[in-house]
Amino acid sequence: MAENKSNENWTPKIVGIVCNWCTYAGADLAGISRIQYPPNVRLIRVPCTGRINPFYVFKALQEGADGVLVSGCHPGECHYLTGNLSARRKFNMVKNFLSYIGVEPNRVTFTWCSASEGERFSKVVKGVTEMVKELGPATKLVKKL
Amino acid sequence: MENIEKQLREEAKKLLAGKKVDVVVGYEQGTLPLQTTPCFIENPDDVEKLVWNSYCSQNLAKFAHDIIHQHRESQARVKPEERTKKIVGIVARGCTTRSLIIHLQERQYGRDEIVVLGVPCTGYISKKKIAIAVDGDEILESTVTGDTISLKTAGGEKKVPLGNVLSDSCITCRFNNPLLVDVMIGEAAPAMNPDGEYDDVNAFENLPIEERWQYFTKEMAKCIRCFACRNTCPSCYCKICFAEQSQPTWIGVGVDETDVQMFQMMRIFHMVGRCVDCGSCVEVCPMGVDLRKFLKKLDKDGFELFSHRAGADIDNPPLLSSFLMEDKEDFIYDPE
Ligand code: SF4
Ligand code: SF4
Repeated sequence: MAENKSNENWTPKIVGIVCNWCTYAGADLAGISRIQYPPNVRLIRVPCTGRINPFYVFKALQEGADGVLVSGCHPGECHYLTGNLSARRKFNMVKNFLSYIGVEPNRVTFTWCSASEGERFSKVVKGVTEMVKELGPATKLVKKL
Repeated sequence: MENIEKQLREEAKKLLAGKKVDVVVGYEQGTLPLQTTPCFIENPDDVEKLVWNSYCSQNLAKFAHDIIHQHRESQARVKPEERTKKIVGIVARGCTTRSLIIHLQERQYGRDEIVVLGVPCTGYISKKKIAIAVDGDEILESTVTGDTISLKTAGGEKKVPLGNVLSDSCITCRFNNPLLVDVMIGEAAPAMNPDGEYDDVNAFENLPIEERWQYFTKEMAKCIRCFACRNTCPSCYCKICFAEQSQPTWIGVGVDETDVQMFQMMRIFHMVGRCVDCGSCVEVCPMGVDLRKFLKKLDKDGFELFSHRAGADIDNPPLLSSFLMEDKEDFIYDPE
């Protein structure tokens, strides 16, 4: 990854952790509808945002992700009824804590995106890619291999 | 203090003699000045060992948990109908009772497995502040009289106001009297000064982001990963800790500084809604890492965002295992 970063053609690597029922399906819809969005995000599918351990976010940053995107069903629409509601509390704390210790707030983004929102998904990815591009390559918390 | 100690010994003796508890966990005189050690009393004649003073720093709730769980494990091969319970009597101040409440909320043991000997607390002495007060000289003797502590070193004697050397957690403590009591010892202690509780965190939040990052990395670079902070913390009771887990490996074993940062972030993050600000971790850290700066932030957010204070109310469910439909979500990104 390091060689990429010294390069002026650097583009960010973003880890997207998304839930199976909404955002992953939303990404699928974006694909089927041939909506264009930047190829910088690598999706990891999990059953539910409630299943996402905040450690995943920390670990992604340590392993060299320039940005992390977490997305799931809108509140009230969780496939498991309330998984995203407990996740919301966790992520609120994660977001505040990361910026408290001095990590740029825009490195980590949380959002909701339902299965029917292919358009929104592409906008989210565009927006997040832009934000991370602006910040440049991640330097904080990154493990030197 | 003497009265409290006397009463504490009497009550402990009563409990032990009446077989109401199997063991009393308390503090006894340590072998060095300024030091008390946790002690475990099973014989009613040993209660004279118990002390209660400003040197009692460690949160004892950890031991209630460990004793009960060790006992349960030892019962694993006993027929279910013959299994016994081990009842633990525990000397507990405000923060200790908050930790006990957390254990109860997390179903670590039953309310009938502990007997709480509540003691009023006026704060404990931070050994780090003492070391600063005497420029790191070895303390030969120390005595507390009223509001001053006199410290004898090879170079002479020094008197310091007690208020100057109390632990930071104690100065701004909101719950210095026990919140969960079976036997209350003595009268409730006067309130501390909780108004300034978040001053430190607020000041830190207002620093520029790069300065915050500098401070974080500087503090984390001190850590030698001895895990003393985890071992003393009553909320860190997992049998297998993520820090030592190998499948998956969360924390690399090398000397990379980010591995230490990860360890700390993850441990600290496990304290969301579970850190009672007892200061035990700060007190035991051999490297003087400013853990409280980061732990207190979670406490502040927990309260400001979700009106939750760790272990303050047994009927208020744990922060991360509850939610409201109307929880704040202004941090959620909207691409429109
Ligand atoms: S993290 Fe430290 S201050 Fe908080 S409960 Fe654990 S030992 Fe006490
Ligand atoms: S006690 Fe201090 S040095 Fe030891 S692991 Fe904890 S923070 Fe690091």
